[in-house]
Amino acid sequence: MSIWDTLLGRKPQNSSSVAKERLLTVLVHDRVKLTPDMMEAMREEIIAVISKYVDIADPDAIDVSLLHGESSDHLKADIPVRRSRS
Amino acid sequence: MARVITITSGKGGVGKTTTTANLGTALAMHGQRVVVVDADIGLRNLDVVMGLENRIVYDLVDVVEGRCRLRQALIKDKRFPELFLLPAAQTRDKDAVSPDDMIALCNDLRREFDFVIVDSPAGIEGGFRNAIAGADEVLIVTTPEVSAVRDADRIVGLVEAFEKGHPRLILNRIRPHMVSRGDMMTTEDVVEILAIDLIGVVPDDEAIVTTTNRGEVAVMDRASKAGRAFSSIARRLLGEDVPMQVFTNDEGFFARLWESMGLRPKRAQR
Repeated sequence: MSIWDTLLGRKPQNSSSVAKERLLTVLVHDRVKLTPDMMEAMREEIIAVISKYVDIADPDAIDVSLLHGESSDHLKADIPVRRSRS
Repeated sequence: MARVITITSGKGGVGKTTTTANLGTALAMHGQRVVVVDADIGLRNLDVVMGLENRIVYDLVDVVEGRCRLRQALIKDKRFPELFLLPAAQTRDKDAVSPDDMIALCNDLRREFDFVIVDSPAGIEGGFRNAIAGADEVLIVTTPEVSAVRDADRIVGLVEAFEKGHPRLILNRIRPHMVSRGDMMTTEDVVEILAIDLIGVVPDDEAIVTTTNRGEVAVMDRASKAGRAFSSIARRLLGEDVPMQVFTNDEGFFARLWESMGLRPKRAQR
């Protein structure tokens, strides 16, 4: 933490809040029960479906992740799409 | 109506056996007829925690395998009128008993007792399944630590999958000074994460170690905060509306010093 962090009032995160965040995230994965194989298979199928409609820039750049939210958990897929002018 | 309550956790070492011994004793002190059952076959501990290790003749596996009658295996705790222990076997393992055996055993015990408290082993396999097989209610013990809470979450899912109703939470070994420093998760944090009803919070207390050393149980010690917390949980099990304890920081030397100099130290809220 630099002097600027102190002046701007940014407190270092205490360990219990880090613990809580980590737990909430790891439990999203535990509860959804998606194995790495299933995640990978789901990713391939998402790529196949999206490819029917848009041109995907780089299949390897696609990110599928599980996130903890306030009222529900989220499966997020981030799919870079090729920019084209035609 | 007799109640069979299983104490489980997932993670080992969070206080299941201590909880079983204390809740069983507290309920007996309230005039209930109680049997505590050690379902940790092969690694028995409930006997030694309660100071009854020298009185074991027969155990749970002997009963299930028909080598003795149930009455012969029950050990009466002479300190209380109606408290009994059914010990586990030490030289067998968890395969010696099946869930159906446990259901039958719990039904037999229901006829004789008001409360049957079953001490579950750690884990999620056969021993755990045996321990919850006969249960009407399940209490999940956890500490406010990452691995314990993670394991407790899995257990919540399994208890509901085995259709044992909604488990309730006992948060054990909370350290108020660490909580107020932000170094330990709060009760609210853990309840929010696990999303089950809380039945009690128990502070970390040296009396647990010293009473176990002597084969005594903390609820017998009026000065023990953990003992009083377990007593409150027992009263809630009996339907009494006992407000949840808020554990404030013990005032340290410096807090008292500042106070005496007329300066106000920051007060812990939990």
